[in-house]
Amino acid sequence: MYKYIIRRILVFIPMLFALTVIVFTLAQLAPGDALTGQSLADPNVDPEVYEQQREALGLNDPLPVQYWHWVSSAAQGDFGDSLVFNGRTVMDLIEARFANTLYLGLFSLFITIIVSIPIGIYSARRPYSLLDYGATGFGFLGLAIPNFFFGLIAIYFLSIQLGWFPAQGTLSSPGAAGFGSFLDRLHHMVLPGITLGLAGTATYMRYMRSEVLDVLGSDYIRTARAKGMTENSVLYKHTLRNALIPIITLMGFEIGVLLSGAVITEQVFQYPGLGTLFISSVTNRDFPVVMAIALILGVLILIGNLLADIFYSIVDPRIRYD
Amino acid sequence: MKLKKNWILLFVLMLGLFLAACSSDSSGDEPEEDPEETETDQEEPAEEEEEAASDEPQMGGTITGAMDTAPAGMFNPIFYEEAYETNILDFTHEALLSQNQNLEFEPGLASDWEMSDDQTEVTFTLEEGVTWHDGEPFTADDVVYTYKAISSPGYIEAGGVRTEYVIRLLGYEEFNSGETEEFEGVVAEDDHTVTFKFAEPNVTALKDASFPIIPEHIFGDVPIDEIPEHPASLNAGEVIGTGPFQFTEMLDREQYVLEKNPDYWQSEPYLDRIVWRVVEQSVMLGLLENGEIDFIAEPNGVPAADFETVEGFDHVEIIEQTDFGYQLMGFKINHRTDADVESGTIEPDNWVPNEDMSEQLVRQAMAYAIDRQAIVDNLLHGHGSVINAPIAQQFWAYDESATTAYEYDPEQAKALLDEAGYVDTNDDGFRETPDGEEWVVNLNYPTGNQLREDSAPILGQFLEDVGIQMDVRQPKEMTAYVEDLTNDNSDWDLYLLGWSLGSGDPDPSGLWKSDAAYNYGRWNNPESDQLLQEAMQAPEAFEQEYRAEKYSEWQGVFSEDLPALLLYAQNKIYGFNERLNGVDPMPYSFNNDPHLWWVSE
Repeated sequence: MYKYIIRRILVFIPMLFALTVIVFTLAQLAPGDALTGQSLADPNVDPEVYEQQREALGLNDPLPVQYWHWVSSAAQGDFGDSLVFNGRTVMDLIEARFANTLYLGLFSLFITIIVSIPIGIYSARRPYSLLDYGATGFGFLGLAIPNFFFGLIAIYFLSIQLGWFPAQGTLSSPGAAGFGSFLDRLHHMVLPGITLGLAGTATYMRYMRSEVLDVLGSDYIRTARAKGMTENSVLYKHTLRNALIPIITLMGFEIGVLLSGAVITEQVFQYPGLGTLFISSVTNRDFPVVMAIALILGVLILIGNLLADIFYSIVDPRIRYD
Repeated sequence: MKLKKNWILLFVLMLGLFLAACSSDSSGDEPEEDPEETETDQEEPAEEEEEAASDEPQMGGTITGAMDTAPAGMFNPIFYEEAYETNILDFTHEALLSQNQNLEFEPGLASDWEMSDDQTEVTFTLEEGVTWHDGEPFTADDVVYTYKAISSPGYIEAGGVRTEYVIRLLGYEEFNSGETEEFEGVVAEDDHTVTFKFAEPNVTALKDASFPIIPEHIFGDVPIDEIPEHPASLNAGEVIGTGPFQFTEMLDREQYVLEKNPDYWQSEPYLDRIVWRVVEQSVMLGLLENGEIDFIAEPNGVPAADFETVEGFDHVEIIEQTDFGYQLMGFKINHRTDADVESGTIEPDNWVPNEDMSEQLVRQAMAYAIDRQAIVDNLLHGHGSVINAPIAQQFWAYDESATTAYEYDPEQAKALLDEAGYVDTNDDGFRETPDGEEWVVNLNYPTGNQLREDSAPILGQFLEDVGIQMDVRQPKEMTAYVEDLTNDNSDWDLYLLGWSLGSGDPDPSGLWKSDAAYNYGRWNNPESDQLLQEAMQAPEAFEQEYRAEKYSEWQGVFSEDLPALLLYAQNKIYGFNERLNGVDPMPYSFNNDPHLWWVSE
C-alpha cells in the first residue's frame, strides 16, 4: 500500500512538469501580454513607459529563457511577483484566496453529502413514491438551473427581500476575530455554498439512487435478507458500502472541480476566491499567477484521485494495491 | 424505524425550503412587501420634516459606497494604475493644486503660486499647519521627494507610469539616466516654499504640479524598487497621506474602510467613516434600494439602462454629468509596414495608405450614414451626447461651432459615395470600388464594454443601408484586440475604441498627432500636427485664448478630415441615498470635498 502511494506520488512529478510546459505554452500563445491591456487605461501614459517595463520584467526574453526562470524559482517554492498586482508576490495573492476557496469548497461539499446521500438512499428504498418523484424533479431542476441565475435569485429573495443572509463577500466587517467571526463567515457561506453545491447535490442524489437500487436487487442482498438480517443491517452493512464506490470516484474529481469551478459563483457573490483570480489573471495575462494556480490545481486533482483510490480499498476489501 | 422517521423529516424540511423559495415571489412576498412600503411612506415625511428642521451639517455617521471591482491594492499614488484605487486615494492624498468646476486650478496644499517672467519656474507657497496622518508636519521636502521619486532611475522598472508629470522638469533626463545625483527639477526654498523648475517654458506647469504628494519621512530611505512592496504602499492603517480621511482597515477585495482624520487642515470632516464595499454589478441596485449601500459613483456609476429604476427609488438622489471621454469608430487611414511593426517604429513617411479608407469623401459619407443620435437615444437611453471633436466638452478648448455636425443624412452619404466613385456596377445591391472591384469594409471591435459591443452590429447595419458591403467581425478580447490594433500591418478598415481623458489639460496630441502611438488610425495630416504643436508653443500658448483659437482651428481640421467618427460621450450617473448631504461633484469626479459630506439620520 505504502509502496503504491509512493509510486503514485513519484508519477506526479513528470505529470506536473508536463502540466507546466503545456500551461506555459498555452499562456504564451495568447496574443498580448500583461502590459498590453493596461496601456488603454490612461492615454496620458507614454507607451514607451510600458516598453521599458516589458524589458525590465523580462517579457522580451526568448520563451525558453522565461520558462527556465519561472521553473527554476518555482522549484524552490518561489512563484515570483505578479505582473498586474504591483508589489505583491504570487503566493501572497493566492494565499488569501486559497483559504476562501477551500472553506467554500468544503462547505458546499458538506452540504452536497448530507443532502444527496440520504435522499438518494431514501429514493432507492421507496422508488416511484411521491417523495422519489419529488427528489427526481428537484434533481433535474438543480442540474438545469445555471449557477449565476440560482445565485441571483437566492440573493434577491433570501438576502435583499428577506434579509436572512448577507448577499456579498466573506465577512461583515474587516478586522473581526474569534468565534463571532467564524459564525459570520459561515453565515456568508450559506448562499454561495448552496449555489455551488446545487448541481453536485442533484448529481450525487441520482447516482446514489441508482447505485442503491442496483445493489438492493443483487443476490447477496437477497441472501442477507434470507438469513434474517434486519433491514437496517442489510442497508448499512452490505448495500451502502458497495453503492458508495462509484460515488467516491466522483468525489475524487470533485475536489479539483470545487476549487477551480467556482468562478461564476464567486463572481455573483463577490466572494474572492481562486476561480476569479485565475480568470482575471488569464485575461490580464498575469502569467506567474496563472501558472501557479494551474500547478496548485494540478496537484490537488492528482491528490484527489489518489485519495479516491485509497478509499476504494477501504470501502471494498477486494481492492488491494501492492 | 427511528432512522426512517429522520429521513422523512429531513426530506420534508428540504422540500419545505424548496417550496418556500419558489412561492415567495407570488404569495409569500406581497404581505411582506406591503408593510415595508407603508413603513417607508411613513418614514419619508418624517425625514423631510427633520431635514427642514435641521439643515445644519451634523457630526458623525458612516456611509457605504459600492464599486463593482476591487482595487488591485496599490495605495501609493506614484505607483497606482487603476480607477478603483482612486476611490481610496481621492480621500487620503492631496496635491498642491486641485481643479474647480471650470477646470481652473485652485489652491490645494499650496495656498498661492507665482510664475517667473520667463515662464520656466513656478514658486508655490504651501499651506502651513498641515500634518500627515501620523502627525508629522507636511513640508516642502515632501513635495521635492515625491517628484524626485517619480524622476528617479528605476521608477519605471519598478512599475511606475506617471512620468508624464516630471518629464518637463529641469534636468529630468540627466537625473533619470543616473548621470547626476542632483535633482534640480523641484527645489525647497524653505519649509513652506517650493519651486518647480522646467527645462523650457511650460504651458502645462500647473497640471504637472498637481500630482498627489507622498510623505518623505516614510519613503525617504526606501530604495525606489522596494516602494511598491513597502507596507505603507499596500496595507490599511499604514498608508499615510494628508487627506480628510485615513485608510484604516481593509478586507482585501471586499471592504475598504476610511476613517476621518480629525486633524484635517481644512476642517474636521463631518463623517466618521466611509466604507467601500465591492459589490457585483447586478446586486448593487438591490442594495442601494434596501439601504445597505448609500452611493454608487466612481468609476462606473449607475448603468444608463438602470436610470429609471434608480429614479424610482424614493430615497435616492441622482446626479448626472458628462464623462471625460468618448467612444469612437476609427478609420485605419494608413497601415504600417511589416518592418516598422517588427521594429516598433512609428514613422509616418513609411506608412502605406489603406485603400478606400484613405479617401476623405468615403469617411465623411460613413459619418453621414450613421444616426448617432439614435444610438445615444436607444443604447444609452438618452444618457449621453453626440460630440464632433475629440476634446472633452467640459474644457474651454472644446468648440462645437468649428466642427461639421454630420447629422444623420443617408442621402448625403450616398451622394458622397457616388462622388467618390463608389457605385453599384453589378447590381448586387452593394457598391464597388472606383476600379469596379468588390468592396467589403471590415469592422473590428473588442469585448469588455457591453454598449460598445451592442453598437457594432448597429453601425454595420447603418453602413449597409447606404450600400456598403460590411464584414462585422467577431469581437476580440481586449488584450488581443489592442495587440492587433497596435500591430497594424493588417487588413483592418474600421475599429471601435473608447478613450477616457484626463481633466488636467485638453491637449489631444497624445492621441491624434501623427507620430503618437495611440494614433491607431495612423492619421497623417501636417496641418493638424502643425496646429497641435502651435497650441503648446510658448510663449503665445500661455494665453488661453490663443490656445483656444488653435484648438478650435484644429477641431475644424479633425472634423473635416475625420480620422475617426466620434460616436458618443456617455454620461456618468451617480446615485446616492438622500441621507447623504453636502455632495458636490466636480466635472471629473464624485469624490470632491468629502470632509463636507454629512448624513442626516
